[in-house]
Amino acid sequence: MPTSFPEFAIEADGVSRSFDGTAALSNFTLRVPRGTIYGFLGRNGAGKTTALKIIAGLVKPDRGTVRVLGTDPFEFTTEDRQRVGYLSEKQILPVGMKVGRLFAFCAPFYPAWDHALVDRLVASFRIDRCKRIGALSQGAQRQIAFILALAQRPELLLLDEPASTLDVVARREFLDEILGLLRQDGPTVFLSSHILSDIERVADHIGIVADGTLKISEPLDRLKDTVKRVRFYDFNRDPGSFAMPGAFRAQRSGREWLVTLRLEDPAQLDAPARSWGARHEIQDLNLEDIFVDISRQ
Amino acid sequence: MFLYLNPQSGLPIYRQMFQQLRERISSGQLAADAQLPGVRELSTELHINPLTAAKVYQMLEREGLVEFRRGQGTFVTAGRKPLSAAEQQKLIQPAVDQVVSEAIHLGIEESNLQRFIHQAYAHKLS
Repeated sequence: MPTSFPEFAIEADGVSRSFDGTAALSNFTLRVPRGTIYGFLGRNGAGKTTALKIIAGLVKPDRGTVRVLGTDPFEFTTEDRQRVGYLSEKQILPVGMKVGRLFAFCAPFYPAWDHALVDRLVASFRIDRCKRIGALSQGAQRQIAFILALAQRPELLLLDEPASTLDVVARREFLDEILGLLRQDGPTVFLSSHILSDIERVADHIGIVADGTLKISEPLDRLKDTVKRVRFYDFNRDPGSFAMPGAFRAQRSGREWLVTLRLEDPAQLDAPARSWGARHEIQDLNLEDIFVDISRQ
Repeated sequence: MFLYLNPQSGLPIYRQMFQQLRERISSGQLAADAQLPGVRELSTELHINPLTAAKVYQMLEREGLVEFRRGQGTFVTAGRKPLSAAEQQKLIQPAVDQVVSEAIHLGIEESNLQRFIHQAYAHKLS
Protein backbone atom coordinates (compact mmCIF):
# COMPACT_ATOMS: atom_id res chain seq x y z
CA MET A 1 0.00 0.00 0.00
CA PRO A 2 1.24 3.49 -0.76
CA THR A 3 2.36 5.03 2.49
CA SER A 4 2.80 8.63 1.39
CA PHE A 5 1.92 10.88 -1.54
CA PRO A 6 4.69 13.41 -1.99
CA GLU A 7 4.29 15.91 -4.80
CA PHE A 8 7.33 14.54 -6.59
CA ALA A 9 7.89 10.88 -7.42
CA ILE A 10 11.64 11.50 -7.54
CA GLU A 11 13.65 14.17 -5.72
CA ALA A 12 17.43 14.32 -5.90
CA ASP A 13 19.43 17.14 -4.30
CA GLY A 14 23.11 17.85 -4.85
CA VAL A 15 23.91 14.26 -5.78
CA SER A 16 27.51 13.44 -6.69
CA ARG A 17 29.03 10.12 -7.58
CA SER A 18 32.46 9.21 -8.97
CA PHE A 19 33.82 5.97 -10.33
CA ASP A 20 37.60 5.50 -10.05
CA GLY A 21 38.11 9.23 -9.65
CA THR A 22 35.95 10.21 -12.62
CA ALA A 23 32.80 12.14 -11.74
CA ALA A 24 29.68 10.58 -13.31
CA LEU A 25 27.33 12.99 -11.53
CA SER A 26 28.28 16.22 -9.80
CA ASN A 27 25.78 18.27 -7.84
CA PHE A 28 22.90 16.68 -9.73
CA THR A 29 19.44 17.95 -8.76
CA LEU A 30 16.16 16.60 -10.13
CA ARG A 31 12.41 16.86 -9.47
CA VAL A 32 10.01 14.54 -11.26
CA PRO A 33 6.35 15.50 -10.68
CA ARG A 34 3.97 12.64 -10.00
CA GLY A 35 1.93 11.28 -12.88
CA THR A 36 4.19 12.63 -15.62
CA ILE A 37 6.07 10.86 -18.36
CA TYR A 38 9.53 12.29 -17.89
CA GLY A 39 11.96 11.93 -20.78
CA PHE A 40 15.52 11.87 -19.48
CA LEU A 41 18.07 12.74 -22.17
CA GLY A 42 21.82 12.93 -22.34
CA ARG A 43 24.75 11.87 -24.46
CA ASN A 44 26.55 8.62 -23.74
CA GLY A 45 28.62 9.14 -20.63
CA ALA A 46 26.60 12.17 -19.51
CA GLY A 47 25.50 10.36 -16.35
CA LYS A 48 22.06 9.01 -17.32
CA THR A 49 22.52 5.40 -16.34
CA THR A 50 24.28 6.33 -13.08
CA ALA A 51 21.36 8.61 -12.20
CA LEU A 52 18.88 5.83 -12.96
CA LYS A 53 20.82 3.34 -10.85
CA ILE A 54 20.95 5.77 -7.94
CA ILE A 55 17.20 6.34 -8.24
CA ALA A 56 16.65 2.58 -8.34
CA GLY A 57 18.76 2.17 -5.18
CA LEU A 58 21.44 0.12 -6.93
CA VAL A 59 24.25 2.66 -6.60
CA LYS A 60 24.89 4.79 -3.53
CA PRO A 61 25.71 8.47 -4.09
CA ASP A 62 28.93 9.85 -2.60
CA ARG A 63 27.09 13.01 -1.60
CA GLY A 64 23.57 14.40 -1.71
CA THR A 65 20.09 13.11 -0.90
CA VAL A 66 17.63 11.09 -2.94
CA ARG A 67 13.94 10.50 -2.25
CA VAL A 68 11.96 8.09 -4.39
CA LEU A 69 8.24 7.99 -3.56
CA GLY A 70 9.26 9.81 -0.39
CA THR A 71 11.90 7.31 0.75
CA ASP A 72 15.67 7.00 0.38
CA PRO A 73 15.98 4.20 -2.20
CA PHE A 74 18.98 2.80 -0.35
CA GLU A 75 16.71 2.16 2.63
CA PHE A 76 13.91 0.61 0.59
CA THR A 77 11.97 -2.16 2.27
CA THR A 78 10.56 -5.00 0.19
CA GLU A 79 7.22 -3.17 0.11
CA ASP A 80 8.90 0.01 -1.18
CA ARG A 81 10.66 -1.99 -3.87
CA GLN A 82 7.36 -3.43 -5.06
CA ARG A 83 6.21 0.12 -5.81
CA VAL A 84 9.08 0.77 -8.25
CA GLY A 85 9.47 -1.05 -11.56
CA TYR A 86 12.93 -0.88 -13.12
CA LEU A 87 13.95 -1.91 -16.60
CA SER A 88 17.72 -1.70 -16.79
CA GLU A 89 19.68 -0.83 -19.89
CA LYS A 90 20.99 -4.38 -20.15
CA GLN A 91 18.37 -6.64 -18.67
CA ILE A 92 19.50 -10.08 -17.49
CA LEU A 93 16.92 -12.78 -18.06
CA PRO A 94 17.38 -16.51 -17.37
CA VAL A 95 17.91 -17.65 -20.95
CA GLY A 96 17.30 -21.32 -20.19
CA MET A 97 13.85 -20.71 -18.71
CA LYS A 98 10.65 -20.88 -20.72
CA VAL A 99 8.69 -17.63 -20.99
CA GLY A 100 5.63 -18.94 -19.14
CA ARG A 101 7.79 -20.30 -16.29
CA LEU A 102 9.49 -16.92 -15.84
CA PHE A 103 6.17 -15.11 -15.38
CA ALA A 104 4.96 -17.82 -12.96
CA PHE A 105 8.25 -17.51 -11.06
CA CYS A 106 8.08 -13.72 -10.68
CA ALA A 107 4.38 -13.31 -9.89
CA PRO A 108 4.43 -14.45 -6.21
CA PHE A 109 6.99 -11.77 -5.32
CA TYR A 110 4.52 -8.98 -6.12
CA PRO A 111 1.16 -8.68 -4.34
CA ALA A 112 -0.24 -6.41 -7.07
CA TRP A 113 0.90 -8.71 -9.94
CA ASP A 114 -1.47 -8.24 -12.87
CA HIS A 115 -1.99 -11.59 -14.60
CA ALA A 116 -4.51 -10.14 -17.05
CA LEU A 117 -2.00 -7.49 -18.14
CA VAL A 118 0.64 -10.16 -18.74
CA ASP A 119 -1.79 -12.21 -20.84
CA ARG A 120 -2.82 -9.20 -22.86
CA LEU A 121 0.74 -8.02 -23.56
CA VAL A 122 2.06 -11.50 -24.37
CA ALA A 123 -0.72 -11.78 -26.94
CA SER A 124 -0.29 -8.29 -28.35
CA PHE A 125 3.49 -8.67 -28.65
CA ARG A 126 2.93 -12.18 -30.12
CA ILE A 127 5.35 -13.90 -27.73
CA ASP A 128 5.31 -17.71 -27.54
CA ARG A 129 5.11 -18.71 -23.84
CA CYS A 130 6.43 -22.20 -24.55
CA LYS A 131 9.75 -21.03 -25.97
CA ARG A 132 12.95 -20.76 -24.01
CA ILE A 133 13.93 -17.14 -23.50
CA GLY A 134 17.33 -17.66 -25.12
CA ALA A 135 15.60 -18.75 -28.32
CA LEU A 136 13.82 -15.40 -28.71
CA SER A 137 15.05 -12.33 -30.56
CA GLN A 138 16.67 -9.43 -28.69
CA GLY A 139 13.53 -7.40 -29.28
CA ALA A 140 11.24 -10.09 -27.83
CA GLN A 141 13.50 -10.43 -24.77
CA ARG A 142 13.26 -6.70 -24.27
CA GLN A 143 9.47 -6.89 -24.48
CA ILE A 144 9.45 -9.63 -21.82
CA ALA A 145 11.57 -7.50 -19.49
CA PHE A 146 9.14 -4.63 -20.09
CA ILE A 147 6.15 -6.84 -19.26
CA LEU A 148 7.87 -7.93 -16.02
CA ALA A 149 8.37 -4.31 -14.99
CA LEU A 150 4.75 -3.40 -15.76
CA ALA A 151 3.07 -6.49 -14.31
CA GLN A 152 4.03 -5.57 -10.78
CA ARG A 153 1.80 -2.48 -11.17
CA PRO A 154 4.42 -0.04 -9.91
CA GLU A 155 3.76 3.56 -8.89
CA LEU A 156 7.02 4.55 -10.52
CA LEU A 157 8.40 2.96 -13.65
CA LEU A 158 12.11 3.49 -14.42
CA LEU A 159 12.97 2.62 -18.01
CA ASP A 160 16.58 2.82 -19.19
CA GLU A 161 16.72 2.82 -23.01
CA PRO A 162 13.64 0.58 -23.14
CA ALA A 163 13.13 0.64 -26.89
CA SER A 164 16.65 0.59 -28.28
CA THR A 165 16.45 -3.01 -29.57
CA LEU A 166 12.85 -2.85 -30.79
CA ASP A 167 11.88 -2.41 -34.42
CA VAL A 168 9.71 0.53 -35.44
CA VAL A 169 6.37 -1.29 -35.15
CA ALA A 170 7.26 -2.84 -31.78
CA ARG A 171 8.37 0.59 -30.56
CA ARG A 172 5.03 2.10 -31.48
CA GLU A 173 3.22 -0.72 -29.62
CA PHE A 174 5.46 -0.15 -26.65
CA LEU A 175 4.75 3.60 -26.63
CA ASP A 176 1.02 2.95 -26.83
CA GLU A 177 1.29 0.71 -23.78
CA ILE A 178 3.05 3.44 -21.85
CA LEU A 179 0.39 5.95 -22.88
CA GLY A 180 -2.33 3.44 -22.03
CA LEU A 181 -1.00 3.23 -18.48
CA LEU A 182 -1.42 6.96 -17.99
CA ARG A 183 -5.09 6.80 -18.83
CA GLN A 184 -5.88 4.79 -15.72
CA ASP A 185 -4.20 6.69 -12.91
CA GLY A 186 -1.03 4.96 -13.90
CA PRO A 187 2.50 5.30 -12.66
CA THR A 188 4.97 8.09 -13.07
CA VAL A 189 7.24 7.04 -15.93
CA PHE A 190 10.90 8.04 -15.93
CA LEU A 191 12.33 7.14 -19.29
CA SER A 192 15.78 7.52 -20.79
CA SER A 193 16.16 7.18 -24.54
CA HIS A 194 18.28 8.19 -27.48
CA ILE A 195 15.26 7.89 -29.73
CA LEU A 196 14.12 11.47 -29.44
CA SER A 197 11.17 11.07 -31.81
CA ASP A 198 9.65 8.60 -29.30
CA ILE A 199 10.24 10.94 -26.40
CA GLU A 200 8.76 13.79 -28.38
CA ARG A 201 5.55 11.84 -28.89
CA VAL A 202 4.90 10.64 -25.34
CA ALA A 203 6.83 12.68 -22.80
CA ASP A 204 5.31 15.72 -21.10
CA HIS A 205 8.47 16.66 -19.18
CA ILE A 206 12.05 16.73 -20.42
CA GLY A 207 15.30 16.62 -18.50
CA ILE A 208 18.64 17.07 -20.25
CA VAL A 209 21.75 15.94 -18.43
CA ALA A 210 25.22 17.01 -19.56
CA ASP A 211 28.54 16.80 -17.73
CA GLY A 212 26.89 15.11 -14.76
CA THR A 213 24.38 17.88 -14.02
CA LEU A 214 20.82 18.57 -15.09
CA LYS A 215 20.87 21.48 -17.54
CA ILE A 216 17.15 21.53 -18.37
CA SER A 217 14.07 20.21 -16.58
CA GLU A 218 10.67 21.46 -17.70
CA PRO A 219 7.52 20.64 -19.69
CA LEU A 220 8.25 19.70 -23.31
CA ASP A 221 5.72 22.25 -24.56
CA ARG A 222 7.46 25.06 -22.70
CA LEU A 223 10.82 23.90 -24.02
CA LYS A 224 9.62 24.04 -27.65
CA ASP A 225 7.71 27.28 -27.10
CA THR A 226 10.69 29.15 -25.64
CA VAL A 227 13.98 27.67 -26.87
CA LYS A 228 14.51 29.15 -30.31
CA ARG A 229 17.28 29.65 -32.81
CA VAL A 230 17.77 33.18 -34.04
CA ARG A 231 19.66 34.01 -37.22
CA PHE A 232 21.23 37.48 -37.18
CA TYR A 233 22.36 38.79 -40.54
CA ASP A 234 23.06 41.97 -42.48
CA PHE A 235 25.30 43.34 -39.73
CA ASN A 236 26.37 46.95 -39.79
CA ARG A 237 28.78 46.25 -36.94
CA ASP A 238 29.98 42.70 -36.39
CA PRO A 239 29.84 42.05 -32.64
CA GLY A 240 33.01 39.93 -32.90
CA SER A 241 31.98 37.62 -30.11
CA PHE A 242 28.50 36.71 -29.04
CA ALA A 243 27.45 36.76 -25.42
CA MET A 244 23.72 37.07 -24.82
CA PRO A 245 21.89 36.27 -21.62
CA GLY A 246 20.14 32.91 -21.90
CA ALA A 247 22.14 31.79 -24.95
CA PHE A 248 22.92 28.08 -25.10
CA ARG A 249 25.04 28.12 -28.21
CA ALA A 250 26.28 30.67 -30.75
CA GLN A 251 27.70 29.74 -34.14
CA ARG A 252 29.17 31.98 -36.76
CA SER A 253 29.26 31.50 -40.48
CA GLY A 254 30.71 34.35 -42.52
CA ARG A 255 28.61 37.39 -41.76
CA GLU A 256 25.83 35.54 -40.00
CA TRP A 257 25.34 34.42 -36.42
CA LEU A 258 23.09 31.58 -35.36
CA VAL A 259 22.22 31.74 -31.67
CA THR A 260 20.19 29.19 -29.73
CA LEU A 261 18.61 30.86 -26.75
CA ARG A 262 15.76 31.03 -24.30
CA LEU A 263 13.28 33.43 -25.86
CA GLU A 264 10.44 34.32 -23.50
CA ASP A 265 9.43 37.30 -25.62
CA PRO A 266 10.59 38.09 -29.18
CA ALA A 267 10.91 41.77 -28.15
CA GLN A 268 14.00 40.86 -26.12
CA LEU A 269 15.88 40.64 -29.45
CA ASP A 270 15.09 44.18 -30.56
CA ALA A 271 17.72 45.96 -28.47
CA PRO A 272 20.69 43.73 -29.37
CA ALA A 273 19.69 43.61 -33.03
CA ARG A 274 19.49 47.41 -33.11
CA SER A 275 22.86 47.85 -31.43
CA TRP A 276 24.52 45.67 -34.08
CA GLY A 277 22.43 47.13 -36.87
CA ALA A 278 21.45 43.56 -37.72
CA ARG A 279 18.30 41.93 -38.95
CA HIS A 280 17.08 38.69 -37.47
CA GLU A 281 14.66 35.84 -37.94
CA ILE A 282 13.41 33.32 -35.37
CA GLN A 283 13.34 29.59 -36.08
CA ASP A 284 11.38 26.89 -34.20
CA LEU A 285 13.44 23.93 -33.02
CA ASN A 286 12.45 20.34 -32.51
CA LEU A 287 13.64 18.30 -29.55
CA GLU A 288 16.64 16.92 -31.41
CA ASP A 289 17.87 20.41 -32.34
CA ILE A 290 17.37 21.63 -28.78
CA PHE A 291 19.10 18.58 -27.33
CA VAL A 292 22.12 18.91 -29.62
CA ASP A 293 22.55 22.63 -28.95
CA ILE A 294 22.25 22.27 -25.18
CA SER A 295 24.55 19.24 -25.06
CA ARG A 296 27.22 21.01 -27.09
CA GLN A 297 27.17 24.37 -25.38
CA MET B 1 -10.77 11.87 -35.72
CA PHE B 2 -7.80 12.19 -38.04
CA LEU B 3 -5.36 14.97 -37.36
CA TYR B 4 -1.97 15.18 -38.95
CA LEU B 5 0.61 15.49 -36.21
CA ASN B 6 4.34 15.67 -36.61
CA PRO B 7 5.96 15.24 -33.19
CA GLN B 8 9.34 16.08 -34.72
CA SER B 9 8.23 19.53 -35.77
CA GLY B 10 9.49 22.59 -33.92
CA LEU B 11 5.82 23.43 -33.33
CA PRO B 12 4.67 21.65 -30.14
CA ILE B 13 2.02 18.96 -30.70
CA TYR B 14 -0.56 20.94 -28.74
CA ARG B 15 -0.21 23.89 -31.11
CA GLN B 16 -0.53 21.64 -34.17
CA MET B 17 -3.71 20.09 -32.77
CA PHE B 18 -5.14 23.44 -31.74
CA GLN B 19 -4.58 24.96 -35.17
CA GLN B 20 -6.14 22.02 -37.02
CA LEU B 21 -9.17 21.79 -34.75
CA ARG B 22 -9.72 25.54 -34.87
CA GLU B 23 -9.55 25.43 -38.66
CA ARG B 24 -12.10 22.59 -38.78
CA ILE B 25 -14.47 24.42 -36.47
CA SER B 26 -14.20 27.77 -38.22
CA SER B 27 -14.58 26.17 -41.65
CA GLY B 28 -17.69 24.30 -40.50
CA GLN B 29 -16.20 20.82 -41.04
CA LEU B 30 -17.00 20.43 -37.37
CA ALA B 31 -20.47 21.96 -37.17
CA ALA B 32 -22.15 23.58 -34.17
CA ASP B 33 -23.19 21.01 -31.55
CA ALA B 34 -20.93 18.34 -33.07
CA GLN B 35 -19.40 16.18 -30.36
CA LEU B 36 -15.63 15.87 -30.17
CA PRO B 37 -14.03 12.58 -29.14
CA GLY B 38 -13.15 12.21 -25.46
CA VAL B 39 -9.63 13.06 -24.34
CA ARG B 40 -8.73 9.40 -23.82
CA GLU B 41 -10.15 8.27 -27.12
CA LEU B 42 -8.43 11.06 -29.03
CA SER B 43 -5.05 10.52 -27.38
CA THR B 44 -5.26 6.77 -28.04
CA GLU B 45 -6.04 7.36 -31.70
CA LEU B 46 -3.24 9.86 -32.14
CA HIS B 47 -0.69 7.99 -29.98
CA ILE B 48 -0.06 11.05 -27.84
CA ASN B 49 -0.02 11.96 -24.19
CA PRO B 50 -3.59 12.49 -22.86
CA LEU B 51 -2.44 15.60 -20.98
CA THR B 52 -1.72 17.16 -24.38
CA ALA B 53 -5.23 16.44 -25.67
CA ALA B 54 -6.77 17.80 -22.46
CA LYS B 55 -4.72 20.98 -22.79
CA VAL B 56 -5.91 21.52 -26.38
CA TYR B 57 -9.57 21.15 -25.36
CA GLN B 58 -9.03 23.69 -22.60
CA MET B 59 -7.51 26.14 -25.09
CA LEU B 60 -10.46 25.65 -27.46
CA GLU B 61 -12.84 26.23 -24.58
CA ARG B 62 -11.06 29.43 -23.55
CA GLU B 63 -11.55 30.75 -27.07
CA GLY B 64 -15.22 29.80 -26.88
CA LEU B 65 -14.95 27.31 -29.74
CA VAL B 66 -16.06 24.30 -27.70
CA GLU B 67 -17.95 23.78 -24.48
CA PHE B 68 -17.84 21.03 -21.89
CA ARG B 69 -21.28 19.64 -21.09
CA ARG B 70 -21.35 17.89 -17.76
CA GLY B 71 -21.58 14.13 -18.09
CA GLN B 72 -21.83 14.34 -21.87
CA GLY B 73 -18.52 15.45 -23.30
CA THR B 74 -17.07 18.22 -25.42
CA PHE B 75 -19.15 19.91 -28.13
CA VAL B 76 -18.61 22.60 -30.72
CA THR B 77 -20.22 25.71 -29.27
CA ALA B 78 -23.57 26.58 -30.81
CA GLY B 79 -24.50 30.21 -31.47
CA ARG B 80 -20.95 31.38 -30.91
CA LYS B 81 -20.55 35.03 -30.16
CA PRO B 82 -18.45 36.58 -32.88
CA LEU B 83 -15.03 37.71 -31.66
CA SER B 84 -14.49 41.43 -31.16
CA ALA B 85 -12.20 43.18 -33.62
CA ALA B 86 -9.52 43.41 -30.92
CA GLU B 87 -9.75 39.66 -30.22
CA GLN B 88 -9.59 38.90 -33.91
CA GLN B 89 -6.51 41.03 -34.32
CA LYS B 90 -4.79 39.40 -31.35
CA LEU B 91 -5.28 35.97 -32.92
CA ILE B 92 -4.26 36.88 -36.45
CA GLN B 93 -1.39 39.28 -35.67
CA PRO B 94 1.41 36.68 -35.32
CA ALA B 95 0.55 35.21 -38.73
CA VAL B 96 0.37 38.69 -40.29
CA ASP B 97 3.74 39.64 -38.79
CA GLN B 98 5.28 36.52 -40.24
CA VAL B 99 3.87 37.13 -43.73
CA VAL B 100 4.97 40.76 -43.69
CA SER B 101 8.51 39.98 -42.58
CA GLU B 102 8.72 37.24 -45.22
CA ALA B 103 7.49 39.74 -47.83
CA ILE B 104 10.09 42.32 -46.76
CA HIS B 105 12.85 39.69 -47.00
CA LEU B 106 11.72 38.87 -50.52
CA GLY B 107 11.48 42.55 -51.48
CA ILE B 108 7.73 42.44 -52.12
CA GLU B 109 6.06 45.86 -52.25
CA GLU B 110 3.19 46.46 -49.84
CA SER B 111 0.75 47.00 -52.69
CA ASN B 112 1.73 43.68 -54.25
CA LEU B 113 1.26 41.86 -50.94
CA GLN B 114 -2.19 43.41 -50.63
CA ARG B 115 -3.00 42.12 -54.10
CA PHE B 116 -1.89 38.58 -53.10
CA ILE B 117 -4.06 38.70 -50.01
CA HIS B 118 -7.00 39.91 -52.07
CA GLN B 119 -6.53 36.97 -54.47
CA ALA B 120 -6.27 34.49 -51.61
CA TYR B 121 -9.53 35.81 -50.14
CA ALA B 122 -11.28 35.47 -53.49
CA HIS B 123 -9.96 31.93 -53.87
CA LYS B 124 -11.02 30.76 -50.36
CA LEU B 125 -14.46 32.33 -50.51
CA SER B 126 -15.28 31.24 -54.07
